[in-house]
Amino acid sequence: MTWLTPQLAAIAAAIAVPALVILYFLKLRRQNVEISTTLLWKKSIQDLQANAPFQKLRRNILLLLQLIALAAILFALAQPQRQDQDQAVGVRRVILLDRSASMNATDAGEDAKTSRLDKAKAEAVELVSAMRQGSFFGLDLGIGDSGGVADETMLISFDSSAEVVEQFTSDKAALIRAINAVQPSDTPSELSQAMTLARAHLPSQTYYDDRSAETIKLEGRTLGNVAVHIFSDGRLPDAAEVLTQAVEGSDRHPIEFVSVGSAEAVNTAITGFSAERDYDNPQELAVFVGLESTAREPRTVELTLLIDGVAERVRDVTIPAASQPQGVTASTAEGGATANTDWVPGSIGIVFPLERSEGGVFAASITPASGSTDAAPDALATDDRAWLIVPPARRLSVALVSARGNLYLREALLGLPLATLDLFTPADYAAAITDGRAARYDVAIMDGTLPPVDAEGSLAPGRYLIYGAVPPPPAGATVGEMVQGAQFIDWRRDHPVLRAVNLDSVLIAEIPRIQLPDTSATQILAESDAGPALLELSTADVRALVVPFDSIRSTWPLDISWPVFNAAAIRYLGLAIAADDSGSRVIRPGQVLVDRIPPGSTSVVITGPDGDKSNLQPAADGRVVFGPVRTTGTYSITWSGATTGTDTGSPAGRGARTYAVSLLNSGESNIPARDTLKLAATTVSATDTSTTRAAQRLWPYLLLAAIAVMLFEWWVYNRKVYL
Amino acid sequence: MIRTETPKRPTKLDELLDAKLIARVGQLDVTSRKIFSGKLRGERRSKKRGESVEFADHRPYVSGDDLRHVDWNIFGRLDRLFLKLFLEEEDLCLHIVLDCSASGDCGDPGKFLYMQRVAMALGYIGLVNYNRVAMTAIGTQDAEMVDGKAVSTGIVSSIRDLRGRRRTNELAQWLCSLEPAGGSNFGEAAKRISVSRRGKGVMVVLSDYFLKEGYQDGLRLLMGRGYDVFALQCLSPEEVDPESSDKFRGDLRLRDVEDGDFAEITVAAPLLKKYKANLAAYCDELRTFCARRDINLLTVQTDTPIDTLLLDYFRRRGLVR
Repeated sequence: MTWLTPQLAAIAAAIAVPALVILYFLKLRRQNVEISTTLLWKKSIQDLQANAPFQKLRRNILLLLQLIALAAILFALAQPQRQDQDQAVGVRRVILLDRSASMNATDAGEDAKTSRLDKAKAEAVELVSAMRQGSFFGLDLGIGDSGGVADETMLISFDSSAEVVEQFTSDKAALIRAINAVQPSDTPSELSQAMTLARAHLPSQTYYDDRSAETIKLEGRTLGNVAVHIFSDGRLPDAAEVLTQAVEGSDRHPIEFVSVGSAEAVNTAITGFSAERDYDNPQELAVFVGLESTAREPRTVELTLLIDGVAERVRDVTIPAASQPQGVTASTAEGGATANTDWVPGSIGIVFPLERSEGGVFAASITPASGSTDAAPDALATDDRAWLIVPPARRLSVALVSARGNLYLREALLGLPLATLDLFTPADYAAAITDGRAARYDVAIMDGTLPPVDAEGSLAPGRYLIYGAVPPPPAGATVGEMVQGAQFIDWRRDHPVLRAVNLDSVLIAEIPRIQLPDTSATQILAESDAGPALLELSTADVRALVVPFDSIRSTWPLDISWPVFNAAAIRYLGLAIAADDSGSRVIRPGQVLVDRIPPGSTSVVITGPDGDKSNLQPAADGRVVFGPVRTTGTYSITWSGATTGTDTGSPAGRGARTYAVSLLNSGESNIPARDTLKLAATTVSATDTSTTRAAQRLWPYLLLAAIAVMLFEWWVYNRKVYL
Repeated sequence: MIRTETPKRPTKLDELLDAKLIARVGQLDVTSRKIFSGKLRGERRSKKRGESVEFADHRPYVSGDDLRHVDWNIFGRLDRLFLKLFLEEEDLCLHIVLDCSASGDCGDPGKFLYMQRVAMALGYIGLVNYNRVAMTAIGTQDAEMVDGKAVSTGIVSSIRDLRGRRRTNELAQWLCSLEPAGGSNFGEAAKRISVSRRGKGVMVVLSDYFLKEGYQDGLRLLMGRGYDVFALQCLSPEEVDPESSDKFRGDLRLRDVEDGDFAEITVAAPLLKKYKANLAAYCDELRTFCARRDINLLTVQTDTPIDTLLLDYFRRRGLVR
C-alpha cells in the first residue's frame, strides 16, 4: 500500500474527526431538565417552526442537502478537469544514476573504501529527501516550502543499458528503497540509453506557444519541464551529443550533474587482452596485454599471465605517467584550473610469445609490484583482471565439391597449408551432410553446385565458397538472364578477402544478372558492369562467399589474383569459425551471452564467476541465451549430452564450455572524475515565453464539498436549526 | 419550573401556618357570593326560614300552621292571624381542591408547599368560623393498569366534614401526609367531586392549571353543580420568567415530570419571547374562561407572601372578609 499524501490525510483527520466528535457530543450533551410541564414549550417550538420561513421545506432541507452531497460525489466520479494557466506544478525530476564499471572505483570517501556508486546513492537519497511533499488539493498549507504540489521523481539506473527502477512518484520511501537497491555492474556507460528511456516515460503535456499571433497548441514529450539530475563520475563518452539534444527547451530546469569521485583517482587497468596464432605455424601463440594507468607518475605493476589457473609468466611492467594533451595546457594555465582537463592515461603494450598448441582459459592480472611505494592505491579492481578463451591450434579441413573436378581450383588449394583436402561429388557431399561426416570440414568449396537447400530456401548450415551458382531467396538472390562479356569495375578493397587482390584484368565470358530481394542476407563485395559479381551471404547458420559466374569461363584462374583470393577466402571463412568459436566466448559486460550447444542437450547450467548457478532452457536448435552479463569473470555452461570439438568433456558425461567476460574498456578504466559535462552547443530555449497549462483535477474539491454538505446536514438535523 | 430534587415537606401545623399568621387570619371568615343551604345549624344565613333571632317576614296563617309562630301582637291590632317568619342560620361548606400532581414539586419556592399553606390557612379560617371544611387532593397516584390503560379516579385522598377549631390539627396532618406525584386527571376528579358532594358551598381550586387534558371540562362540571368556585393559579417565578433561573441556559432536553414527554430546546431570545407570549395567552384564555362562567380567578406567583395573599388579594376578591 502506498500513501501518496499521508500528511494531508492527517490534517483532514485532525480537523474532521474532532469536528464530528464535537457535533456528536453536542447532540449528547443536551442537558436533561425536568420541568413542570412541556405544554408551553412545545407550543413555543411549534410556533417558532410555524413562523419560520421555508417551513414547508423544513423536512426537505435534509433531503436537499443530501442531494447536494450526492451530486457532488457523482460529479467527482466524472473526474472533471480544468485547464488552468500558471497553475502550480510540482517539479518533476528524473534521477539518472550511473552504475557503470567506473562507478565501482573506491575513491569517493576518505577511507578509500566507499565506492562512487555508494556516494552517488547517498547524494540521490539526499535529493529525494528534499522533495516537496504535496497536498491533495494544491492548497498552500504552510508546511512545505511552497505550493503544496508534490514533486515527483523517476529513478533510472544505467550502464550500457538503462532501466526504470522507479516510475514517477512522490513516495519518498519507495524512491529511497529503489535507490539503495541499485546494484553496481561492470558495464561501460551509455547516457543516451538513459535519456531515451527518460524521455519515453515523460507524461505527454500540452503546451501553448503564444509568441506568434495565433496560439499554437503543441503536444509532446520533452525534458524541458523536467529537472534531470545525473549522478555520475562524468565518464560518459556520449554525454556531449546526448545532452545537446536534451537541453533543447530546458530553461526551466537545467540539467544538473552531480559529480562523484576524485579527479585525481589512480587506476591501473588491463585495457587490451588478445591472443593470435601464427597462420603458418599455429602452435606459435602471441598473447598481447595492453595496460593503462591514470597516475601522474610512472607506475610499476606485476603482470601475471595465467593459463587454466596456473601462472605461466610474471613480469614487472612500468606504465608511463598520464600526460596532458598539448593543446589544452595553455588555456588551462590561464584558467588556473586543471581539474576539468582530461589527462591522457599512460599506456603500454606487452606481448608474451608462447609455444602452445592447446587451447585454454587465459587470464591476466595486475597487482602492485612488490616493494612499490605508490601513494595512492588502485581505485578500481574490476579492470585489474581480464580473461580470454584461446582455441587450440589446428589447420583447416576443406572439402571440394565438384561434378567435374576443377583443375584450377584443386591446384590453387593444394598450395595452401591445409589439414585435409577431400574431393566430393555433389551427391556424395549431400550424403556426407546427412550422416554427419561433413561436419569435419571447416570450409566446403562448391564448384557449379549448391549445398542441399531445404524447403524454405535456406542452405544446410556450414561455410561455403560457391562458384558458378547462387543461393536462392529469401537469403540469397534471384538469377536473371545471362550477360555475355563482363569485367569487374569495383570491389571492396577493405574486405579481408579482397584486400590483396586486383581484379582489373579479369574478363568474364558469361555472368548471370543478379537481383537482391529486400529479404536478402547477402551483401555485394564486387560489382561488374553486368551487376554484382561477388557476394557474401551470412545468416545465423551459413556463411558463404558466392562467385556467381563459372570461373572456367573467365580469365580469372589464369590471373595472379586467383590463388590469392582462394587462400584469403578459405582463411576468412575458416578463421571465422575460430573467431566465432572463441569470439562468441569472449563477451563484454552488458552483452548477452548467446551460444549454441549440441541440440538435445539437457540440464544446462551456467555457473558465474562467483559460483552461483542458474538453469538455462536451450531452444530446439541448441541455442542458449544468458544475460545481459553484468559482472566480469569466467562463466561456464555445462550440459548433459554430446560435445563438439572445442568442448571439454567431463567424466560424468557432461559437456562444458567456458566464456570470458572482461571489461577491456579504456574509457571506463580512465576513471578520474569530471566536474562538468561538456556540452557541444549552447542552450537554446524554445519555450521562453510560452506558458504551460496543466489540467487541474477538480474531483477532490467536489469530494470536499460533499463532506462539508454532509456535515452541515448533520448539524441541521441535530440542531433543528431553522433557516 | 425546574423540578426541585429535595423539596421541603411540612411535617406539622407550625410549618404550614405559623402563630403570627394564625393570629391575623383568625378574624377572617370565608364569604360566599351565593347563599347555600347548610346541613347543620350554623352561623351563616341559610335559604331556609328557621328559628333564629333574625326576623325575616310575615305571612298569613293557614290552617295547620304551628300556633306558636303566630304573631299575637298583630292579631291584637288587626284581628287577623299572621305567622312570624325568622331566618334560618346554617353552616357553609368550604371545599378546597388541591392539585397533587408531580408538577407541584417544581419551582422555587415550591408550588405544592405554597398550595399546602394556602389550603391550610383557608381551612383554618373555615374551621374557626364553624364552616364545614372539606379538602380533596387530586392526581393520578391511584392509577391502576386495566387492559393496558391507566385508569384513575383522579382523586388521591380527601378529608371532609371538619368543623370547629379542634379539627385544625387533623387537617394539618392530612395536608402533611400528601406527596405530589404522578399526573392529573382534572376532568375525572371534578366529575367525582361534583357527584359525591352533597353540600354545596365555596370551592377553592388550587392548581397551576397547566393541564394537558384541559381545565375547561372540570371547571364546567364544578360550576354546573352550583359551587361558588374560586380558582387560584399558582405559578413559580421561573415559569413566569425562565431567564431568572441559572439552570435555564443553553441546549436543554426538557422532560415533563408528569407524563415524561420531551421537548428539545435551545434557550434563545426568540424562544423565550415566544414562551412568555404563550404563557400570557394561556393565562388570558383561562381568565376569559373563568370570567364567562363567573369563576373568580386569581393568578399568584409562589414568591408572594402568604399573608399578603390572604389579607390583601383574597379580601379584595371577596373570598374572605
